[in-house]
Amino acid sequence: MSRQSTLPSRSRSAPPAPETEHRPPRGVMVLRLGRALALPIRRRSLVVGVLIAVVVLVCAAATLTLGNLGVPLSQLPSVLTGGGEATDRFVLSRLRGPRLIVAVGVGAALGIAGALFQSVTRNPLGSPDVIGLAAGAGSGAAVAALLLPGVLPVPVGALLGAGLAIGLVALSTGTGLRHPGRLIVAGIGVAAMAQAFTHFVVAVLARDEATSLATYLNGSLTARDWEHAAVIWGALALSLPVLVYLAGPIRLGEMGDEISETLGVPAKSTRTAAILMSVVLSAAAVSVAGPIAFVALTAPQIARRLSGAGGPSLVLSAAVGALLLVCADLVVQQVPVGEGLPVGIVTMGLGGIYLGHLLIREWRKGSL
Amino acid sequence: MSDDASASVLAARSLTLGYGSDPVVHGVDLEIGAGEFTVVVGPNGCGKSTLLKAFGRVNRPMSGQVMLHGRDLRTRRTKAVARELALLPQSPVVPEGVTVRSLVERGRFAHHTLLRQWSPDDERAIGEALDLTGTTDLAEVPVASLSGGQRQRAWVAMVLAQDTGVLLLDEPTTYLDIAHQYDLLQLFARLHRGGRTVVAVLHDLAQAARFATRLVMMDGGRVVADGTPQEVVTSELVGDVFGLACDVVPDPRTGTPLVIPHEEPVAG
Repeated sequence: MSRQSTLPSRSRSAPPAPETEHRPPRGVMVLRLGRALALPIRRRSLVVGVLIAVVVLVCAAATLTLGNLGVPLSQLPSVLTGGGEATDRFVLSRLRGPRLIVAVGVGAALGIAGALFQSVTRNPLGSPDVIGLAAGAGSGAAVAALLLPGVLPVPVGALLGAGLAIGLVALSTGTGLRHPGRLIVAGIGVAAMAQAFTHFVVAVLARDEATSLATYLNGSLTARDWEHAAVIWGALALSLPVLVYLAGPIRLGEMGDEISETLGVPAKSTRTAAILMSVVLSAAAVSVAGPIAFVALTAPQIARRLSGAGGPSLVLSAAVGALLLVCADLVVQQVPVGEGLPVGIVTMGLGGIYLGHLLIREWRKGSL
Repeated sequence: MSDDASASVLAARSLTLGYGSDPVVHGVDLEIGAGEFTVVVGPNGCGKSTLLKAFGRVNRPMSGQVMLHGRDLRTRRTKAVARELALLPQSPVVPEGVTVRSLVERGRFAHHTLLRQWSPDDERAIGEALDLTGTTDLAEVPVASLSGGQRQRAWVAMVLAQDTGVLLLDEPTTYLDIAHQYDLLQLFARLHRGGRTVVAVLHDLAQAARFATRLVMMDGGRVVADGTPQEVVTSELVGDVFGLACDVVPDPRTGTPLVIPHEEPVAG
């Protein structure tokens, strides 16, 4: 059949158009590397990402330089490259350096975990810290560290706890993880049980140790070391390939299983992989910093609004998560009112307000 | 119908479909030939949408098979199938904050790989899809803020950007005013003339008869008639299947069958 050019013909038969005629749309750049790599990047996302990175760097510099033990700003470059005074090197390599690196990693992991779970449940309240995933991981970590020290590594305990919690939630909704309203109600129940259990373990075994109390109950970044940093950054590095793969499919998945399947996304396996990654990252974060509240809830929502693309953004969620946690930790280290508080109390205070706002909004929308 | 397997694009083989344990479609055999504009009609609940979704690989057969170009759909990868057929479901969920353009871009997913997520082909297909559906000027508008007719055209554009040889359309004209209905049907007819195989579920028998090259009538989960519009739309069949007493007359413009129901408003 001969086709007239005015008729819509299948593109496979169309002559290959010269590249100059089909440029990416305005506001989108394409990252290219030979013929193998061509990734579209939205300019707005890039700008937002770079801005957040700059603010994180500023907060990081403040974290390292402020206060009694702070490394003077003028000395920072030489201390960072291994020079400077011994005290400053000690502060950087033992006290504030690892704490900062852990904060960035934990914040990023929580941001990604939240973005994945919220996307899969198509509800901002379907976040690991609302539905009991983080609390479960906290219980698991507490059991591993306090009840079975040396038997079970803390990250493994956290992973088991998170897995158990999500399993309980899925069982008690009766419909798996599909119905956001049921998920949230069941999740709040599971979270409460897990927290009660953690309180019990801590009260029985660690009532003398204020620091560990804070870590297991609220989440804290006090006295973190490079081992903690290795756990959280290792988990991030290991999950990176899966996250790169999931970024596109979860965006399409938000349109529902039917549409995403017809567009080429295997809906069920995408959901399973996303939940699995969310569990792993939440568990890793909790195992090094305890159940830090509401970073996973708020970071992806802020990232969504900043990117303006109408979908989840894993990269920006990670960046916002890191920023939130670094800022909150700066507050507890340097602001007189917050000084000495576990960082989880600060995030809980700020995130709790947001949670209340969300609950009311979703209730009005009728999606609960 | 030809028995030659190479000529059939889609085929249902003793296909039984249902939700839970109750079958909605019972052992249907149906071949869709290349280049046909097939319209499936039938009363509410006859299983026509269920059948269309099975063709689109969205619901899994209880028994039997769906073949695409001679290969069982269940053995194919989701992404590979999405390069060959596109399905427009009824009233899909509009994601918050998504513009028409970014919705249409999503139609290109099946053509991307992990490392190559943009090509000039994408740009051409998206541009064409926007152009054909008359949504180019709406590209930067959020889908959620569009009128019903515009929104449906945006969804059609997404499916067109998928650039597949087969288009499956589930009641694409529902909720549209009559002018927008004919706009869309006209577009599908042009796509069909351009070489695509189109299968649509429609409610309006006159529209179905006017645009289809082949009509399939279903009732109670079975195919009860299959042929040209003239063969299928008869007063006997419409009476049997829909329980509507009627005359069938030739459409004064196209000559295709037109249903004139006997029901009249009671005077007084």
